[in-house]
Amino acid sequence: MAQAGKGRLNYRCPSCFMRDLDIDMFYDAEKEEFYCIRCQYCGSEEDVLKKNEMVRFRYRAMGKRFRFEEMDG
Amino acid sequence: MFALNIIHRPEMVPEYSQKVTGQGKAEDMKDEGLLTESLDIFRTQQECAHKYGLKTTIQMTYASLFNEEAVSLAKEHHEVYGDEIALSLLGLPCEEFRDKYKTKDFCIWMFSMEDKKAIVGDVFEKFHDIFGFYPQSTGSYYMDAELINYIKEQYPGVKCAVATCWEEGPKAYHTCNNSWYTFMDGGPWAPWIPSKANTHAPAANKEEDSGIVAIPHLSRDLLACYDGNGSNFGTHPQNVLRGMIYDSKTWEYPYLYNLIDQYRYQARFNEGYSYNMMFVGPGWMNKMGRWEAPYELLLKSYDDGCKYYGELKKQGKLVDMTMAEFADYYREKKTYTAPEVALWRDILYGSDKQLFWYTDPYMRVGVNMDQGGAIVDLRPYAAKLNWPVGIGTAHVTDASYPFLIQEKYRAGYFTHYAGEGTVRSAKVIYGKEEVDLCLCRTKARCERQKGRVVLTLDAVDVVFSDVSVKLQTRFTFEEGSGVIRCDREVLELSNPDACVIINEYMVGCYGTTEYAEDMTSLSLSVTNEKGTKEISYEYKCRELSAAGAKEAACVLPPICTRVSMEAEGRDKFGYVKEGYAFSPMFTLGYTGVLREKEVFTTWLRLEKAD
Repeated sequence: MAQAGKGRLNYRCPSCFMRDLDIDMFYDAEKEEFYCIRCQYCGSEEDVLKKNEMVRFRYRAMGKRFRFEEMDG
Repeated sequence: MFALNIIHRPEMVPEYSQKVTGQGKAEDMKDEGLLTESLDIFRTQQECAHKYGLKTTIQMTYASLFNEEAVSLAKEHHEVYGDEIALSLLGLPCEEFRDKYKTKDFCIWMFSMEDKKAIVGDVFEKFHDIFGFYPQSTGSYYMDAELINYIKEQYPGVKCAVATCWEEGPKAYHTCNNSWYTFMDGGPWAPWIPSKANTHAPAANKEEDSGIVAIPHLSRDLLACYDGNGSNFGTHPQNVLRGMIYDSKTWEYPYLYNLIDQYRYQARFNEGYSYNMMFVGPGWMNKMGRWEAPYELLLKSYDDGCKYYGELKKQGKLVDMTMAEFADYYREKKTYTAPEVALWRDILYGSDKQLFWYTDPYMRVGVNMDQGGAIVDLRPYAAKLNWPVGIGTAHVTDASYPFLIQEKYRAGYFTHYAGEGTVRSAKVIYGKEEVDLCLCRTKARCERQKGRVVLTLDAVDVVFSDVSVKLQTRFTFEEGSGVIRCDREVLELSNPDACVIINEYMVGCYGTTEYAEDMTSLSLSVTNEKGTKEISYEYKCRELSAAGAKEAACVLPPICTRVSMEAEGRDKFGYVKEGYAFSPMFTLGYTGVLREKEVFTTWLRLEKAD
């Protein structure tokens, strides 16, 4: 196969992201998949996006707007 | 007063753009496309701030001083918007720099002192050639004390500098696949006056004053950054995207606003003052997008960040300043020994956890209410540790201020199978039962009194098989003392005739990373009226104790620190414990007896050990 490159966007490995590791993935055009050069994750763009939703599980208050009402007092 | 500094830098070769967008291309410092894009980004960032009525500090990079368009933009924006033209020590790489210094290094604090002096001379003089004056503000991710002292000596008009990035250290290194060498843990999270001896440690008096006001690189989440990747949780909209802390469908990120608001909230504990800094390098807004975030989202988030600050300004809740203006304001209001404090809550994970942070010229302290008010981070600024960094020193890249306690790097309450982790807590003992307050989750309130800060924790119930204790903890930080007072009061005992034993302890070590240092130069001692008993650390698991002890102490020569504990209370016994190879720690502590309505008090003292 020819060398791997970057895809349309520069996706990080979702599996490594979950262990606080930002690592770019490369794209294997032949297999039509992104793969991580550090761990064993590989997947299509659709799978990457799905896993990126999953990594947000720990941000339980991500959508909540806190109001520090006392602040103005 | 909620003060804001927005800083932009025209960086001709953004540190991220070159590598990320250029994947598959050979390095080209003169890539025309990159230069044009960089300037466009700078222009865009300036527009975002100005359209919401915010002034900025333009930190010219060395490379940008060779670019007429960047210079002319800076001059124009200074005239029209009142932006300050300052000088950054970031963004050094360019053809001219490489030709002269023959290196790819780009972090000013990592150069040899000789090169630091030469670079400072080059960039400050070039700046003067272009603008006809010397800058009042400068900065980098980190500015070591020797560098600041030299700049101040050569260019006394410099009054403000970006001088550290809060808890950017081993965690950032790991997040970047062990390839990002910015080790600068252990500093203040909010502006401070650095000492001449060590940038992280605030000056205690005029003699120690480095002559500048330091500001942190970004205002970071004081809970999320302490455990996770710091580069996801700051007043840097693209960092929030990096952390994927946004709704991927709606592109909304309330976390960014919560973070800003939580900083505003800190005014109530800091005599009406709070601070934010936003400094997004152009590499974070490149047209190719950044990781999975497309350019449109990068732009939207930056615009939204400026918009929110602009709205606060309109409402009279924020004052935007240039760095030099802020330095003047800060000098006016600040006394050397006045602490900076933060009562911080989780605004991301939904845990409701609460931390308290305290900084003064003698210490930085982190208290975790989710662990019963245990001290989980302790930096002995009292030592004013001389710690030169850069090539030719003992610490080429490690600029962190050493800890005595760091619960993430050297465990805290929880360890695997054996040994102990660093933490300052207490155990309550009744008969054969023992409960560590680390397991008593609670909340606290903070009061700023004249000359002191008091952190009062909600009382916790310690339940034994046939008696329960309602216990309250209160920490008092006396301004200028270098001492943490801790009162444990038994509010109620289910059996008023019963008594419990309190074991106040601190497990400590020293270091800047996760890995153990050589402990053999440490010495432990316990002193009472009969004299002093000592242990020279040899990993032999020895213990000493003394009835009625006046103090239990440890001297740590590698970090020029002496830490000691004193106590007052019924039947007090002081003790020290040496560690062993599998637990390379030391312990200082006191035991005592508590009955209903009684208090056991300890004082933890930090001093410089010569």
